[in-house]
Amino acid sequence: MSAPSFATLSAAELDERILAFIEAWHTSRAVANEHEFGVLARELFAYQVAENAPYRAFVQSVRGSLEAPDDWRQIPAVPASAFKEATLATFDIRRAEAEFHTSGTTQARAGRHYLERAALYRASLLAGFDRFMLPDGARLAYLNLLPDARTQPHSSLSFMMQVVGDERGVRPPAFYVQGEELEVARFCDDLAALGRANTPVCITGTAFAFVALLDTFERQGLRFTLPGASRIMETGGFKGRVRSVERPALYARLSEAFGIAPQAIVAEYGMTELLSQYYDTPASRAGDARVKAGPPWLRTVVVDAEGAEVAAGTIGFLRHVDLANRSSAIAIQTEDRGYTIGEGFVLLGRETAAPLRGCSLNAEDLAARYD
Amino acid sequence: MPRTWRRGTTEPFARLGAHRIIDAVADAAKRWCDADFPLRVRTTAAIRERTGYSEPVVDYALDRLFEALNRDALTAAIEGELGAVDALDGFVARGERGTAFASPVGRLVVVASETTIGVALPPALFALCARCEVLVRDRSDALVRAFSQTLAEERPDVAARLHVNDATAHDDPAWLAELARADAVVAFGSAAALKAIRAQTPAETRFIAYGHRTSASYVAREALMDDAAAQHVADDAALDALLYDGEGCLSSHALFLERGSGVDLNRFTAMVVAACGRAAIEFPPGAVEMHPSVAAYRNAASFRASRGYGRVMWDARACTLVALEPPREEPPPLLPRTLALYAIDGPKDFALFAQTHRLPLEAVAAAPFPPRDDVVAAILASGAARIARVGMLQAPSFAAEHGGIGRIGPFVRWVTRDP
Repeated sequence: MSAPSFATLSAAELDERILAFIEAWHTSRAVANEHEFGVLARELFAYQVAENAPYRAFVQSVRGSLEAPDDWRQIPAVPASAFKEATLATFDIRRAEAEFHTSGTTQARAGRHYLERAALYRASLLAGFDRFMLPDGARLAYLNLLPDARTQPHSSLSFMMQVVGDERGVRPPAFYVQGEELEVARFCDDLAALGRANTPVCITGTAFAFVALLDTFERQGLRFTLPGASRIMETGGFKGRVRSVERPALYARLSEAFGIAPQAIVAEYGMTELLSQYYDTPASRAGDARVKAGPPWLRTVVVDAEGAEVAAGTIGFLRHVDLANRSSAIAIQTEDRGYTIGEGFVLLGRETAAPLRGCSLNAEDLAARYD
Repeated sequence: MPRTWRRGTTEPFARLGAHRIIDAVADAAKRWCDADFPLRVRTTAAIRERTGYSEPVVDYALDRLFEALNRDALTAAIEGELGAVDALDGFVARGERGTAFASPVGRLVVVASETTIGVALPPALFALCARCEVLVRDRSDALVRAFSQTLAEERPDVAARLHVNDATAHDDPAWLAELARADAVVAFGSAAALKAIRAQTPAETRFIAYGHRTSASYVAREALMDDAAAQHVADDAALDALLYDGEGCLSSHALFLERGSGVDLNRFTAMVVAACGRAAIEFPPGAVEMHPSVAAYRNAASFRASRGYGRVMWDARACTLVALEPPREEPPPLLPRTLALYAIDGPKDFALFAQTHRLPLEAVAAAPFPPRDDVVAAILASGAARIARVGMLQAPSFAAEHGGIGRIGPFVRWVTRDP
């Protein structure tokens, strides 16, 4: 299949325009230009169709045409699992400045997301983090219940928190996961020292890591009162893990264990396949049904099983369009379910397995048999 | 909790001949064969509510179940396993093996969680034939309770031995006590559920476990010599895959097709998809919307197809997904109303696939039937407990074993008398 004949912008031109779009919102807090987003999305689509062969084949198969759609909402979205199936890159991946791997919890293969320029990811994540996690401009110490980015260079989350800590922290970020081990004692020592110095902190981690931490706290009778302005960022779920709890219950335990208000606990929603992130909106943090919002270069469409957009309030699958994915695929179809509300959406999570109404085996049960 | 089991008050029952118990069970079942029987009508609605299956599917299941529970089938199953029904009544001669009596194992508990329709009834009724005291943990559709009412109208003394526990919490102390007192437990469910139930039973309790399993189909090249034959096989294969929305352990999720037949794989796949549409007329899907997990699978398969790997087809009327040549390094899509087709060179490919993924196979449907010897060998190697005719996967013989386990054998304790 040959590339389309229409001219597209170069990678450098696109990077420049996307970075300008990000910076305009980040630094001047300018309201995003809807028209400009649509134009950029279509230009990025055209570029990726020209430069990304697997994406081009996919677009051809689902649309029967390589022309850019009139509306960015109609841009074909690759399933997130496509990152496991193919190299979704617009460039020679030997030149990749970063390479992130998915966790591969349900499949043996891990997906790989190659970044031609890490600067775009850095700009995107910092702008979103500043707006949603640091609207007060707080200077914090970053304690991450994550693997160290230096030992886990393919973790996009560790990379993100390394960048945030380096750029916004009062000291280098600390990481407390070594292999499969959560270093609780070292974490507690550091937290106590920062408390004595009255240094506010940002603790980040997956829901699973927080549960493990809280279980240890409860066994050992530990509790902390974090300095004012401290906050918690919970990211990721319990995929494939041994224990699952409801988020309101988790947040109540976190609030109790660290002596902070539930509103100071923010859920970030991101994935390796996206280079921008969503966060709980400040207004929704007091309630159980938290609403997610993201920066304006990251948009969400909720679609039904057939891929058609559903009405606001109707539950469907989340499809994301992310301009920061310049060197991979602009639109990602997830298995996550949710519904739009106002300018954001409520994330309901994933239905990983079909309901077990019968005596048939399902994939999770098959895996569980041999755990 | 159920009423307390009344042990020691059933001396007349102990003297009741096994043939009389069989008669009572068969007579009660015969009344349930009538689709207008009021208890069946009411229970059908409850089953639909619990499972979400369409009415024709529930009717099919109940027809299959109660038509199979006839005197001849019960007798044949017992004679096949025990040698004679009379062995349940007292000592019978067994030639050089001396005489023996198939005495009841004692108290049986049947736990049927997350199952298709009526799986608790056969073990419960065979155990009654063995004169066991039986406690069934019923589903919300109360099928067992309803049947016990009919049984009570036929023979109150038999029905009195069949106790029903409406679904209480799994950790209810009284329920756990019943498990601890059981001499035998029949449990259906996931590996995790079976482990949990097993953990509540004493070490010497007989534990008969029916875990979640899946089934497959094997179509040899000689079954597809022309379009007409292929169409016939496609129709049968669609039925095997779609009944009970593909959620039974006898639902086929993978069809292996030998290369070199008169019909190429793409054409046969199209026939299967069309057949699924036709099957949905007689047996409509329970849900008209694609399940999220199926949608996710389809999206991934579509992307693979765009790269030239396999194909995926969706029939909206049948709410059915057919995937052609999914990756062999993955297990077949174990999803509702989803069937994967694989082209293979021969039985070794099938056996390798089943062994690689350690698929717990309940049954394999074969066409033509009976299958070639090398196909039989591969199916045996796969661990499946039954070889069926394509199109009959969901209609096992009631007189035969289930899941490789005897129907009544687990509920008797042989007492032998030396020659």
